[in-house]
Amino acid sequence: MSWRLPKLVPRSAPVILLVLTLAAATGFAAVGHLVARYNANQQSRGRKLYAQGVVAAGAGRYDEAIAAFRAALTCDRTNSQYQLSLARALRDSNDPRRLDEAESYLVALWQRTPQDAAVNLALARVAAHRGSIEDATRYYHNAMYGVWNSDPDSNRSRARIELIQFLLKKGAPANAEAELMALSTSLPRDPAAHFEAAQLFAQAQDYSGALTQYREAIHLDPLNSSALTGAGEAAYNSGNYAAAQHYLQEALNRNPQDANPRQLLATTELIVRTNPFRSHISDVERNRRITAAFGQAGRRLTDCAEQTGVDLNATGASPASPLASLQARWIATKPELNRLRSPAETDLPDAIMDVVFQIEQQTASVCGRPQALDLALFLISQKREAAIQ
Amino acid sequence: MSDLASTAGSPEPSPTSSVVRLRPTQRLFSTIEGVFHEEVFFLILSVFIGIFSGLAVVCFRLAIDWMHLALLGPLPQTHSWRLFAVPSLAGLVVAVLVLHVFPGIRGSGVNQTKAALYIFNGFIPFRTAVGKFICAAIAIGSGQSLGPEDPSLQIGASIASALGRQLEISREKLRLMAPVGAAAGLAAAFNAPISAVLFVIEEVIGRWSAGILGSVVLSAVSSVVIVRWFLGSEPLFRIPVTTFKRPTELVAYAVLGIVGGLASVAFAKSIGYLRPRLKAWPRWTQYLQPAFAGLLIGLIAFLGAPQIMGAGYDSMDQAMHGQYAWKVLAILAVLKIVATTFSFVSGTPGGMFAPTLFIGAMLGGAVGDIERMFFPHLTGSTGTYVLVGMGVLFAGFLRVPMTSVFMVLEVSGNYEIIVPVIVANTFSYLVSRSLQSVPIFDLLTRQDGLILPSLEEEREEAILRVEDAMLPVPAIILNAEDYVDVNARRIQGSSDLAFLVRMRSSGWSTITREQLQRLFQEGKGELRLASALPSQTVPSLYPDLPLDSALRYVNNYALVPVVNRANFSKLEGVISSESVFQKYRQ
Repeated sequence: MSWRLPKLVPRSAPVILLVLTLAAATGFAAVGHLVARYNANQQSRGRKLYAQGVVAAGAGRYDEAIAAFRAALTCDRTNSQYQLSLARALRDSNDPRRLDEAESYLVALWQRTPQDAAVNLALARVAAHRGSIEDATRYYHNAMYGVWNSDPDSNRSRARIELIQFLLKKGAPANAEAELMALSTSLPRDPAAHFEAAQLFAQAQDYSGALTQYREAIHLDPLNSSALTGAGEAAYNSGNYAAAQHYLQEALNRNPQDANPRQLLATTELIVRTNPFRSHISDVERNRRITAAFGQAGRRLTDCAEQTGVDLNATGASPASPLASLQARWIATKPELNRLRSPAETDLPDAIMDVVFQIEQQTASVCGRPQALDLALFLISQKREAAIQ
Repeated sequence: MSDLASTAGSPEPSPTSSVVRLRPTQRLFSTIEGVFHEEVFFLILSVFIGIFSGLAVVCFRLAIDWMHLALLGPLPQTHSWRLFAVPSLAGLVVAVLVLHVFPGIRGSGVNQTKAALYIFNGFIPFRTAVGKFICAAIAIGSGQSLGPEDPSLQIGASIASALGRQLEISREKLRLMAPVGAAAGLAAAFNAPISAVLFVIEEVIGRWSAGILGSVVLSAVSSVVIVRWFLGSEPLFRIPVTTFKRPTELVAYAVLGIVGGLASVAFAKSIGYLRPRLKAWPRWTQYLQPAFAGLLIGLIAFLGAPQIMGAGYDSMDQAMHGQYAWKVLAILAVLKIVATTFSFVSGTPGGMFAPTLFIGAMLGGAVGDIERMFFPHLTGSTGTYVLVGMGVLFAGFLRVPMTSVFMVLEVSGNYEIIVPVIVANTFSYLVSRSLQSVPIFDLLTRQDGLILPSLEEEREEAILRVEDAMLPVPAIILNAEDYVDVNARRIQGSSDLAFLVRMRSSGWSTITREQLQRLFQEGKGELRLASALPSQTVPSLYPDLPLDSALRYVNNYALVPVVNRANFSKLEGVISSESVFQKYRQ
């Protein structure tokens, strides 16, 4: 086929250029119209596919969701929402090979809108999947200080809580505590938020911080038995047994069926009853407690020796045996009990209780975790500083 | 303007100045026309070629997408009957169209553009563009394992050729129209103007000159601008972080180059072997060949590898981001070679650029993963190997080493990997060249019964230079300032027939023994030789010039001096017609 335009125009350069310009403009308009219609159809198709993907992702069917999001992206390649959703699905599909692709999408989005908190949060989660503390912290911080489309305060708190959980999981409690401090100052007046923060403090083994947050939660919701139990546990772990007894008792009053506080309460009460260093007790009572503790320590030592086959009374007992050494110290200290009543012997209670505590700690390491009064004495030994109240 | 002003201000125009009666627009046109000599006009025309090609390629890409959606749906399901039914039926339709409506569209668009340049005076029927557009859109949209780049290239070339014919430009320029359009089409398809320009220069035109380069660049850039205007500037792939840290890792990339070279040879040989045999089968089988290729591809897709359908850019993107294990990557590379071979040899219109990239990407990823398995200290990511692999196949299969390097750089936008790319591509090119002497484009041309210049062979051809035919500096060199009798005595003991004469100011001349003796016999012995010689000196040559350049002088002068480039007065030797022809005869 020989294709030629009819020679309607003279062959002069300006005319040719004019005709070509008009033809280009016409072509431009026609193709523009075509592309606009095509894009409209594609966007509509993309929205449907995206909706399918969202449903699939919501149901945990990530492969299906990824396929749908990919197809949606072929319809609208620059759609940030589709890219973000695909990246999230790739990340959440628990396939390490997909993390690279997820990160690639997210980095591209981040380069376009580095202040977008949702993108930063998604990138932080990818970094968390990879176990990179540095990257995750950076992106979580970006998310906290970035722009949220809705409910910024809550989202920022959630991002920080997520970061704290990640740091705790990765064994970085110091970093987590720094974040917890920041979190505790920015919490809304919401018992649930304080409760969650308290749990994080407890996970970071900052029990006094946990107790503070539980107290806030209880203050806002006095009937919250979980918060009461948590406060009791936090107080118990921080050695504040009086407070622990109070909160655990309250928790049991609110929820008598709960077995957890009951057991802890029993131990706490025993500690409170037997602690010779407790404030506001008389000298007589303190001496009685020291005597009882000393006797119990002696029995614990004998039992443990029997259990491990060490003969404490044998003359040839190895001097290297720690139990035998403690037995010797215990026997040597026993006469001192009679001098407890003397007001001049101010250091004697401490000296006697030192023997008791050493016996409890040594027997705990040799014969296992103690029970009842021995447990109470063991815990007092561990929290001695806190127990002096 | 001054003329116009004076005319406007004149109450009674002079009867002799007929120009004054011209309308202002006519005068403006005539002024503008004076500005446009053919070179300038050709450059401007190149921009329009780019615009029209860009618009056509935008429509072509929309047509492929639309076909794909209409035929395979937006979300292809594995194990769906559509996967093998659609390519087969579409293959039948394409076969009918190719055999009855558009018989000229079989074969490679690159070769047809070259044929237009070297054989048909720049003529490519516009029907070819229409046919390629329709048939390639159906074929690629239905999942045939072919790419849109080669048809885009040919659509661009056809548009340019049609425009050139319509505007009745000179034959010399018309010949160049097709490559200029081809660059525009390829640039629009790849969204990569530099690679397109290089490819056309390297594979189609084969020579560099300011005029050609300017036109090709202008058309490529304007077509890319059009495509980006309408379809956005998103790259073909999302490029992952690519790194190259230790020079010792180049060994790993060299291995990739060798494997890629071998794969290129396997790919080229399978096409070279099957194509003439399938073409030789009875005509009725040609109706079924594209359908059979479609069925084969559909079955592969149905059985779990739908990635091999179509151009496969999405799958390359996923490979780049480590979505496939090395076994999957290797299998996909092999399957794509099979699928593309059958699609192409069946006569289905479509290009091999995208499949080449696909095979290279998968192979690169597989080789990279295997290497990292054995040598875990290698720092290159899967994405890096995938990118390098693309260039490797491009260099080995299409045999365009320069384009292959720039293509990877342009697609990735990352210059950090330039060294691995160059190393791997060089190995691939050398392996391919040593095992397959004829490049794929030349092979296809020869199978079609055409003899087009092989630009690779031209590049590799040993060029004869002036120094190869150069004779030593003659023992006797005459001086133009000496008297004729002195010079005549000087040549008495010599058997030479011609002598070089050093002129006083600069330059050289020649004189034959016979001319000199005649001067002497005519009693002009007291004259200076310079007065008897023509005023025009003999042009000098340099030793490194191609010997061809000496041909135009050796017939006019008995001896042509060869001088040093740094010191024109220093004679390096001479050449004569006899020494030149003797060298050519060798």
